[in-house]
Amino acid sequence: MIDQVVVHSEIALNDFLPIFVSSALVLVFGGVYVGIYTAVKVKLLKPWTMSIAYLFWLLTAYCLYVMGSLMHVDAFTAKALVIAAIGLFLLPFAVYYMQHRVHEENEH
Amino acid sequence: MANNHLTSESKQLATWYFTFAAILFGAQLLFGLVAAIQYVMPGFLYGLLDFSIARILHINALVVWMVFAMFGSVYWLLPDETGIETIGIKIGKLIYWVFVAAIVVVVLVYLFIQVGPADPTTIWFITEGREYIEAPRWADWGIVVVALTFVANLFLTGMKGNRSGIVTVLMADMIAFAGLYLAGMFFTDNITVDQYWWWWVIHLWVEATWEVFVGSIAAYGLITMIGAHRKVVEMWLWIEVAMLFGSGILGLGHHYFWIGTPEYWWEIGALFSALEPLPLVAMFIHVLYDWGKTQGGQDERGENKSVITNKPAFTWFVLNAFGNFLGAGIWGFFHTLPQVNLYTHGTQFTSAHGHLAFFGAYATILVGMMYIAVQGTNGIKVMKHTKASLWAVSMITGGVVGMTVALTIAGYVQVLVSRAQMGATWAAYFDGQSGVWFTQAMDWRLIMGAITFLGFVFLAKDLLTTGKNPVHER
Amino acid sequence: MANKSVWSDNRFWQRSATWVTGFASLLLIWLTLDTSAQIQMGTDADLKNGVQKRVPGPTVINYKITYEMSAKRGHEVPVIGEKEKFFGRDDYSEEEAGALLHLGKLGSQAKNCMDCHTLLGNGAYYAPDLTKAWLDPAWGPDGAMQALTGKNTKEEAMAEFLQHPDQYATHARMMPNLGITAEEAKGLVAFLKHMSSIDTNGFPRNFGRMQGAVNGK
Repeated sequence: MIDQVVVHSEIALNDFLPIFVSSALVLVFGGVYVGIYTAVKVKLLKPWTMSIAYLFWLLTAYCLYVMGSLMHVDAFTAKALVIAAIGLFLLPFAVYYMQHRVHEENEH
Repeated sequence: MANNHLTSESKQLATWYFTFAAILFGAQLLFGLVAAIQYVMPGFLYGLLDFSIARILHINALVVWMVFAMFGSVYWLLPDETGIETIGIKIGKLIYWVFVAAIVVVVLVYLFIQVGPADPTTIWFITEGREYIEAPRWADWGIVVVALTFVANLFLTGMKGNRSGIVTVLMADMIAFAGLYLAGMFFTDNITVDQYWWWWVIHLWVEATWEVFVGSIAAYGLITMIGAHRKVVEMWLWIEVAMLFGSGILGLGHHYFWIGTPEYWWEIGALFSALEPLPLVAMFIHVLYDWGKTQGGQDERGENKSVITNKPAFTWFVLNAFGNFLGAGIWGFFHTLPQVNLYTHGTQFTSAHGHLAFFGAYATILVGMMYIAVQGTNGIKVMKHTKASLWAVSMITGGVVGMTVALTIAGYVQVLVSRAQMGATWAAYFDGQSGVWFTQAMDWRLIMGAITFLGFVFLAKDLLTTGKNPVHER
Repeated sequence: MANKSVWSDNRFWQRSATWVTGFASLLLIWLTLDTSAQIQMGTDADLKNGVQKRVPGPTVINYKITYEMSAKRGHEVPVIGEKEKFFGRDDYSEEEAGALLHLGKLGSQAKNCMDCHTLLGNGAYYAPDLTKAWLDPAWGPDGAMQALTGKNTKEEAMAEFLQHPDQYATHARMMPNLGITAEEAKGLVAFLKHMSSIDTNGFPRNFGRMQGAVNGK
């Protein structure tokens, strides 16, 4: 599984703060994304706000990129981060779809 | 809790469990304060109740009060879910007193004997000296007996009565929960092997079985408090189990970066840690969705009334969804990848994460269950907030968040000074500890801890008196 | 009435949860078997033949240990060098060294070390990490601790400190007297020396870089 060294490059002293901030923001933005998505779907928010949701997903992906590059992650972890970003994008669709399906079946 | 409305013995036993859990919660905060004072004034109680002892009591009280409240929650919901009285409840009640007595003995030994000579009798009768599971070996066996009785109560009742989805998940989860404890009950000279199995208990409890437990309790809460649709909630619970166990079991890898285990755990730990927040995000959507739908349905029928039948409990349940996401999700994620964990491992970052995650993921929902029990015991139809319940929830939450922020700042100083620059030696450690930012952070942690404790006083007062308060609808 | 879809079928999700959990557990068990074999303690013969183990045998206390940058692995690793005296001897047999380590490990638990210190990074954060304490420059020939305790070797200085920590005020946050006996102290020092030889994948990073602990002396 490993032929390359994972922890190799040193993290620069000035990079620690951006790393911590960006990795915290990954989930903050991610949470806002799914929050707005769900709120629009259950009609708590107007439909046009959906574009803001996608904007927040883009911010999430950007933060993941910043975090990963400052940490000097290896190829494997980089792939894992990409998968996590895609997973987060699809998550509210999947969850909403399933919830909705069950509601339809049980209430009509 | 005299003259109550409980006809079920199982629910009565639940209230006993909740009562002792609340007492231990108070003890946890008290010893936490002692330890926090020692960071600011190192001479405080030196030689009498040293930091190590205060901390043992702080974290052991934490684990035990949560286990008590978890057992209580199960005894509470079993009659509702299965439709029958819990089987073997008499033995359950007897075992409760055994459990309480054992804990009192263990605490007295911790307080007054503290340490022993380096031989097996110490391990058997005084302390095992392994963080979180310091309880001596005799008590381990006691805990196994207690846990088996509890699991037997649960299984027999689940098999005879109506075995709902929630009960099925709880049955599977609780047997894993009890079984995992066995992984922490042996001695080895090899510290790497020691920590390998120690994490099986700690991680597979708090990041797998306990999380699934919370999922089941949240499902029960949504059904009882806002009348969510059972089929939806239970299907969701199964999805959650898949996500939590799917990411949580191998998420164990993030504890195996630096204890002497092979390098492949870096990849496994990084991959599954990156996935671990997803179920927490999903839980959060789910609560929002269910509340929106149920409330929406009611509004459509023109009933201009809240669907929530227990305001304080619901507040704590919502805090749980947030707190789990914040404490376990965000505060866990930002130091979980091996590249950065190399510098943060074993600093106050871990402590910040621990405080917010235990509070957000577990304390909140268990306090919520205590409110549900108060409601049931007093035959209240719609339970409302009181002044004390609002003070309790805001002071405890504010205090814990404040402590977390302070510890995060302290951790950041440690990473920069003690780790990245000076490389974790004795001198590096104390240089980090004496920085202005670090010491001020510790002052703030103490202040926030005191606020948390005051909040607990309000909580205790409210739990004891709100049942008789005339504001509730009966 | 919408069609029954598999995505909203309770039984489908119940099965999925079971399969996912089962699969993850099996994978964990398989990895545990592999890891267990790799973290098994080595033997005296391994040390004599230069066979590298992630966790060396107890007789590692007969050797000099340093912490050096490995170009191949990209981080520091413990390196076991020539013979070195430990409490005046470098010929501890496997039984003797094993007994010392056993005593030390028991002591580390009986005195609740982990509730102030971190071992391999785990524990409390009230006192320094002990993972590589044996290699700490503070205890070396140029460090302060040998002079402070009036001892001439690292192991004797450590043992003396452990027996009377309250007499050597190194910091406002003093270690309390835990009633550690001379024999227990010897065991604890052996335990610390052994722990420093464990391959921790480069944790802690740059250990003592500024004080010259890295790359030996």
